[in-house]
Amino acid sequence: MTKHVQDEKPPMTKEAKAWMEEETAAQEVRYKAIVDELDGIADERATWIEEFLHNIQTRGFHVTGDTKRKIPDEEMPEKPARPDATRVIW
Amino acid sequence: MARPHIEPFVELNEGYKKFKIPGFVGADYKTLSLDVDNGACSLKVRMRDGFKRPPGLCYSDLEIFVLTGELNVGEEICREGHYIFLPAGMALEAMSAPKGCELIMMYNDSEPSFEESDANHKLALKEGFVSVNSYEDMPWAGGSIVSPSVATGVFLKLLRFDPLTEAMTFLYTMSPEFIQDNISYHDCAEESYHIWGESWMMQFGDLPTGGYFWRPSYINHGAFRSKLGCIALGRTDSKLHNYFHFNPWSNPDENKSRAAAFLYRQRPQLYKWVHMQGGHNHPHGQAEHVGAAPAPDDFENPEYVDHPQTKMLADQTCTFHEMDHLHDKDAIAAAHKFAHENGIAHGHDHSGADHTHDDDEY
Repeated sequence: MTKHVQDEKPPMTKEAKAWMEEETAAQEVRYKAIVDELDGIADERATWIEEFLHNIQTRGFHVTGDTKRKIPDEEMPEKPARPDATRVIW
Repeated sequence: MARPHIEPFVELNEGYKKFKIPGFVGADYKTLSLDVDNGACSLKVRMRDGFKRPPGLCYSDLEIFVLTGELNVGEEICREGHYIFLPAGMALEAMSAPKGCELIMMYNDSEPSFEESDANHKLALKEGFVSVNSYEDMPWAGGSIVSPSVATGVFLKLLRFDPLTEAMTFLYTMSPEFIQDNISYHDCAEESYHIWGESWMMQFGDLPTGGYFWRPSYINHGAFRSKLGCIALGRTDSKLHNYFHFNPWSNPDENKSRAAAFLYRQRPQLYKWVHMQGGHNHPHGQAEHVGAAPAPDDFENPEYVDHPQTKMLADQTCTFHEMDHLHDKDAIAAAHKFAHENGIAHGHDHSGADHTHDDDEY
């Protein structure tokens, strides 16, 4: 096995452990706040999606770089019935 | 799990906290994202007027980007836009900030640490060291360094490229009135901090100055807009491939399956070789180093599995935020049940016996 500096890391200090605990808890709060915030704009996002689906049929979908293709009706995606279809934070 | 999906997070709305870890006294911080398993993290750090620290090293790869003010490292004055990649174990000269400064600091392997030393650790890979003023000493390049590529209007400065994982750190801009009408996802995690300006993505809305995200792999983002333009620091933890599509409702498992279909189509012989039928999967190289996932032999890099970043990526569970951890348990339970009843992929595998499928246990 090739050893790396990281393999010789000393045990975490008590200050670092306390920091990790504090920041882990804070991140949980931050994550939940983000989920709530994005749930709060769900209706607005639905209009953005509608606009996007309109744009790719009229102005075109960016395939790569500036190459665009107008998406025909038969290729348009349909919103699935599953409850997590509108989820954006994972 | 590794770092959760943090997007968007606007750090300018938050206050600084005092750093209490040895080696950081005199500095304040805001955590942008944290790997709760190993302490790897991205921080915004403010070094107060008069901050001083002797020469020393840390046990994690560290990336530093100067946002405002001046950071003195030995005799060198690092001004706005200065980027440093400090390999784990490499001693950095004494640091000081006579008039204070603000930095982005990314600890890629473990929690922030400091050990006073004016000599490199014997195992330090010091040839990986980078120190450059990205604003003054690097040219902008077009955004099409990967294909499929972003639309014209994105410019890049590649600050660091890891040849083993193809992880990248880069500065990027979007021009005013930038438009890209597609949805993207990647095999890698992606991170960004908006130094100035704003951009917009269809899932997450506006990302202003001070906006940040850590986005795990296979998560949809885009379409894209920037009304006034922006400049940002970006990073990936491995190779970036743009999987563009136009289905706003696909989930990460469907995206992952689609990525595997690309492999099936584009590298068919490799796909077949890796995925053998009849209980004899290839490769059967260095499985003992990475648990259940066998690591193929690489004659050019025979010990690559021991590389800390490779190891971290291989060990990540790749599950998304735990289903029972979300704010709306009933909704998640309904989603899980629906997925089972309809045979829909939903973010965890069922090879282990780590949970039941009784209705009450979703």
